[in-house]
Amino acid sequence: MSQMTGASSLVASLEAAGVDVMFGIPGGAILPAYDPIFSSSIRHILVRHEQGAGHAATGYAQVTGRVGVCIATSGPGATNLVTPLADAAMDSVPVVAITGQVPSVAIGTDAFQEADIRGITMPFAKHNYLITNPADIPRAIAEAFHIASTGRPGPVLVDIAKDALQAMTDFNYSPSVNLPGYKPKLIPDNQSIIDAAALITQSSKPVFYVGGGVIKANASRELLELAQLLGAPVVTTLMARGAFPDSHPLNLGMPGMHGTVAAVTALQKADLLITLGARFDDRVTGKLSTFAVNAKVIHADVDPAEIGKNRFADVAVLGDLKNTISALIPALKNALGKNQPDLTPWLNQMNSLRASYPLGYDKPSDGSLSPQYVIERLGKISGPEAIFAAGVGQHQMWASQFVSYENPRTWLNSGGLGTMGYAVPAAMGAKVGAPDTTVWAIDGDGCFQMTNQELVTCALNNIPIKVAIINNESLGMVRQWQTLFYEGRYSNTSLESKRVPNFPMLAEAMGCVGLSCEREEDVDATIEKAMGINDQPVVIDFRVHRDAMVWPMVAAGASNDDIKIARETAPDWDSQEL
Amino acid sequence: MAQHTLEVLVENSPGVLARVAGLFARRAYNIERLSVGPTANPTISQMDIVVNLEGHALEQVIAQLDKLINVISIEEILPNKAAPAVHDTQPDYQN
Ligand SMILES: Cc1ncc(C[n+]2csc(CCOP(=O)(O)OP(=O)(O)O)c2C)c(N)n1
Ligand SMILES: [Mg+2]
Repeated sequence: MSQMTGASSLVASLEAAGVDVMFGIPGGAILPAYDPIFSSSIRHILVRHEQGAGHAATGYAQVTGRVGVCIATSGPGATNLVTPLADAAMDSVPVVAITGQVPSVAIGTDAFQEADIRGITMPFAKHNYLITNPADIPRAIAEAFHIASTGRPGPVLVDIAKDALQAMTDFNYSPSVNLPGYKPKLIPDNQSIIDAAALITQSSKPVFYVGGGVIKANASRELLELAQLLGAPVVTTLMARGAFPDSHPLNLGMPGMHGTVAAVTALQKADLLITLGARFDDRVTGKLSTFAVNAKVIHADVDPAEIGKNRFADVAVLGDLKNTISALIPALKNALGKNQPDLTPWLNQMNSLRASYPLGYDKPSDGSLSPQYVIERLGKISGPEAIFAAGVGQHQMWASQFVSYENPRTWLNSGGLGTMGYAVPAAMGAKVGAPDTTVWAIDGDGCFQMTNQELVTCALNNIPIKVAIINNESLGMVRQWQTLFYEGRYSNTSLESKRVPNFPMLAEAMGCVGLSCEREEDVDATIEKAMGINDQPVVIDFRVHRDAMVWPMVAAGASNDDIKIARETAPDWDSQEL
Repeated sequence: MAQHTLEVLVENSPGVLARVAGLFARRAYNIERLSVGPTANPTISQMDIVVNLEGHALEQVIAQLDKLINVISIEEILPNKAAPAVHDTQPDYQN
């Protein structure tokens, strides 16, 4: 035990918690902490906007599996973290945010730069703290890291009054925590495993409905073994792309609003959903009352509140998914030994659907560049080890559809909150976590204009990410909805971003290499040029056709049965035996 | 709809009432009655929450309440003096 300031105690606690990097911006209330940060072993990356710090912490966490850390001052610094923390909550990302708060005597007086960030983040943070006594700092940090990273991961905020940072205190850090109200159940009950295995052997049309929880639990290898053991088709949600190899013959792709016909139909027609770390989100289920109406449900998750939230579970398996799947493998082997269902007809149906309705796109008739083609080439040229972070919009869906993901933690996106502006800072955090891996941000021209300032951070801190702007000169996804549902009345979705800004010049101004490409024959060479630049961030302005649309599509609120493969075109169900 | 009374033990920490009340508000559940009082243990308070919920909605409220880090346990007090139903979706063993 030694005497030090609360600020030094904070930094020593972060070091003790194993933090090697954090993203932030100083200011008055957090300034005491920045003094010990100056001489700390922790790498502090000075971002240009606190939202960037939050998404960078998220990108870092999603790539490494470790807790991402961001730090900001009180008031506006803290409120700028709200969006990324809400984002991390929706996608279950372990993030710890440290914020300075006005001195404890000033709390509640509307003091300069006072904002009740604990109150503001209460609805979505996994937990949060307001610390006014410096002696509480080490315990709060230890608890924050424990809570953020265990059970269902999520963001935890620690708000610390300035006087607590300045006062002298004893430093006494212990990683063990005592939280009587927080004991996540990680080992599934044996009976639930036996029940799940029994239900699986009674099914002739099972589907593995795989969500992001499998990636969080590092359970991809176990999933592969389980899926091959049963030989049932697998669908990977937007958050689970990469949890199961896209190249695997059992993988039907992504289900949901822009899912493949095979994946959507597999869920709809299944008699059993083996749900692993997924949460029956509305973007997957479509109209819930018509979702998978003939299916029984096994729901395995670490969060008890997910079980039965949107869909009744016939068998609930509560536990960490790595433990759950590991336990299910021998139990299923045993059960299959007594009763091996014949899944061949079901697999044949699904394979026929996949063959009839592969993901595809028409190239624009005017010869302009196809956004899907660009994204497909990005995936092919960068290879299966590369990491991709997407923004939100059409380009995000195409990046999910047309890049083949073979490995977990190679696909990052804002799934639950749908946060435009996620890609550039998340890619920055990802590159910090995986410096030897190629990291692409596939971003929209709209999204890019929300957070591109972090390219300055990348340029100055040797974080050479690559950015592919899919420049369709519009808020494309919104425009697509206007095309389909508002008679083509394009209210406020034209960005004119082929005129302004000049993206390559903007990139150059921020210390990056700026490239531009608008012809199909130049796509490969431009990507390869970017692949060859590893000492600077690179931005490519891919000037693509504006009217490309994302297909297939299940309209919001519609039934998955009404999936369309193109405008007013349903699959030819009569030719399929389902 | 039947009224149900939940006896909720919480850590006696600042903001815990806001956490519980806020959870009901944002998940669009009504609180019929709420009282908070001390227990023999000064670090633990007891909240009695009366809700007009049953079935699935009641289960969800209990599961979501149990996710709050400061909530230690939730018991449902049954009207006809039957033994209370203990709801603990996070059983007290660390594994
Ligand atoms: C912060 C935020 N504001 C608004 C939206 C609504 N929104 C969803 S997609 C989208 C368009 C995104 O445009 P762009 O980045 O150019 O991507 P595109 O769809 O054109 O590929 C908008 C405005 C959002 N998701 N996030
Ligand atoms: Mg766009």
